[in-house]
Amino acid sequence: MQENEILRVEHLTKTFKLPLKQQKLEGGVKIKTAVDDLSFSSFKGEIFGLLGPNGAGKTTTLRILATLIKPDSGDAFIDGVSAVNNPYGVRGKIGFLTSELRLEDFFTPDYLFDFFSELHGVPHDLRNERKRSLFARFGIDKFAEVKLANLSTGMKQKVSIVISIVHDPDFIIFDEPTNGLDVLTAKTVTDYLSELRADGKSIILSTHIFSLAEKLCDRVGVIIDGKLAALDTLSALTAEKNLEDKFFDLYSQAKGERA
Amino acid sequence: MNTILAIIKKEFRRFFCDRRMIFTTLLMPGLLIYVVYTAMGAITQSVAEQSPTPVVYVQNMPESLASALESALDVREQTVSDNEAKERIAGGEIDALIIFPENFDDLTVGTDVPEVSIYYNSTETSSATAYSTVSAILQSYEQSIANVFNVNAQQGEIYDLADSRSASMYVLSTVVPMVLIMLMLSGCIAVVLESIAGEKERGTIATLLVTPIKRSHLAIGKILSLSVIAVLSGISSFLGLILSLPNLMSGTGVEFSLAAYGALDYLGLFLVVISTVLVFVSLLAIVSAYAKSTKEANGLIAPVMILAMVCTLCSMFITSPSVGFFFIPVLNSSLCIAALMAGTFVVVPFVITMCVNIVCAALLSVLLGVMFNSEKIMFNR
Ligand SMILES: Nc1ncnc2c1ncn2[C@@H]1O[C@H](COP(=O)(O)OP(=O)(O)OP(=O)(O)O)[C@@H](O)[C@H]1O
Ligand SMILES: [Mg+2]
Repeated sequence: MQENEILRVEHLTKTFKLPLKQQKLEGGVKIKTAVDDLSFSSFKGEIFGLLGPNGAGKTTTLRILATLIKPDSGDAFIDGVSAVNNPYGVRGKIGFLTSELRLEDFFTPDYLFDFFSELHGVPHDLRNERKRSLFARFGIDKFAEVKLANLSTGMKQKVSIVISIVHDPDFIIFDEPTNGLDVLTAKTVTDYLSELRADGKSIILSTHIFSLAEKLCDRVGVIIDGKLAALDTLSALTAEKNLEDKFFDLYSQAKGERA
Repeated sequence: MNTILAIIKKEFRRFFCDRRMIFTTLLMPGLLIYVVYTAMGAITQSVAEQSPTPVVYVQNMPESLASALESALDVREQTVSDNEAKERIAGGEIDALIIFPENFDDLTVGTDVPEVSIYYNSTETSSATAYSTVSAILQSYEQSIANVFNVNAQQGEIYDLADSRSASMYVLSTVVPMVLIMLMLSGCIAVVLESIAGEKERGTIATLLVTPIKRSHLAIGKILSLSVIAVLSGISSFLGLILSLPNLMSGTGVEFSLAAYGALDYLGLFLVVISTVLVFVSLLAIVSAYAKSTKEANGLIAPVMILAMVCTLCSMFITSPSVGFFFIPVLNSSLCIAALMAGTFVVVPFVITMCVNIVCAALLSVLLGVMFNSEKIMFNR
């Protein structure tokens, strides 16, 4: 294990059972391999980007890291803690954001912040201080007492982001964090992620937006059909051409190998 | 411990800050029962008051029976043929045609057995009443002339020694277990489905699952808070029931005196209600957690409802239950409530019931915690 390694993913594999009708469509194939023997590491203080087309297995990988689901085989270690064997240990260390995790429509951002702080055991004074600064940062203070049901998609996404980091985690897992956000809000989010990195936090995010990855990520893993197609620093990957063209190369290469 | 409290507080806030929820689960059940039962009571009473004296034709009215029949029935002059009279009975215009043999009174003295014919229509209420009234009068007359012995013939003597207190207790002991258990169940269904199947469907429970709270704490927090709400809903229904029972029974002449029960009876009832609600809530929580959606959960609870119904029905027929019955959840509660309402409370079955219910709820909440941990169950959309 390297000195400043914060995440180590080892031979992660995850399959899903296909519904019967789909099995027939695919000629008797019973399972879908969403993540296929994936291994990589990320390091303290960097933003690691998981890049891939729709259905590549990005969300599935991040759900395993966040201990929401268990891999069929392999393991992921966050700060040395196994996601498979010690999920409780991992949950305290991470902040996880994905569209699947919703907040109750009935409550206000202010209440939800307090509630999740309590679940994470954040002391009251620290909580209030954090709430003030995060709400100001994301402009949530303007609708802190409005029920979530009455907020727009982007406002909800901002609240979700803030709620996912109420406990100031050292390792942040963001699945498509700028989904549904306008350019202004998206910029707030990316700026904030850069700030977190400057504070020494480690971040892994998934995206299919290449410009976002180019702007933000230190290192990038490209996954196609659940397999790692490339893993390198952003500068090495974009040495010859931009990330998008590089991705097309990787994609035709991966598909060509399989055909 | 803190996380359990946090979960409980959240559930309470979700419930008590929502006026619609309070209205539909706390106020409406009690109000609805009160209004419906009071209305039913008013209807039965007015039906009892309004029912008109049956109109009958009597041929060869014997002197010995004239006064009895004429006071109970509206005896009219028969102006039509027998066949036409029968048609009128079938059509409901006239209620009965009673044909005595000529000189009926002479015949009863001798050894002959005279025959009386009563034509009536059993599908018409007042005709049926006419028939039963006439047969009753005839029977008592027959007994009085044979006069082998008299039963309860002393005028003015009260033979039924049951006071109104135990009469109302008897009625309550048959009505309350069934109604109360089904009301508790429906209260539990309303809150549990929304809070567990609903949260799962909307993806809000998944957000809790990535926090470092223990699954068992989440399960306990949910079950405790939902039980409190369900108990409140049960109390609302119970109040509606108890307050409306005097109105419902006003036509039957049974006096209701809730004062028949002491503080201990009410305490016992309350404890049984709480332990039963815990069982219901944890059972329904399991079903809701298993279901993919609220809709599916609604379908899956049908067997639970049927089982509860069967248990309450059984308890109506088990008059002297053996101790073994008190080891069966729901049935035991139903039997306990019946015993409390009938004033035949015994300590041992009550204690068994409490223990069985609490152990049962505890085991089910452990199971719920395990289910919260299972990705197959929590993410099986
Ligand atoms: N619960 C599930 N049951 C069956 N198949 C699943 C399940 N979850 C994911 N999959 C499949 O696994 C594959 C990877 O899905 P995943 O959500 O990880 O993709 P993704 O890379 O996040 O894509 P996107 O960019 O569209 O979000 C897809 O083919 C998907 O159909
Ligand atoms: Mg995804």
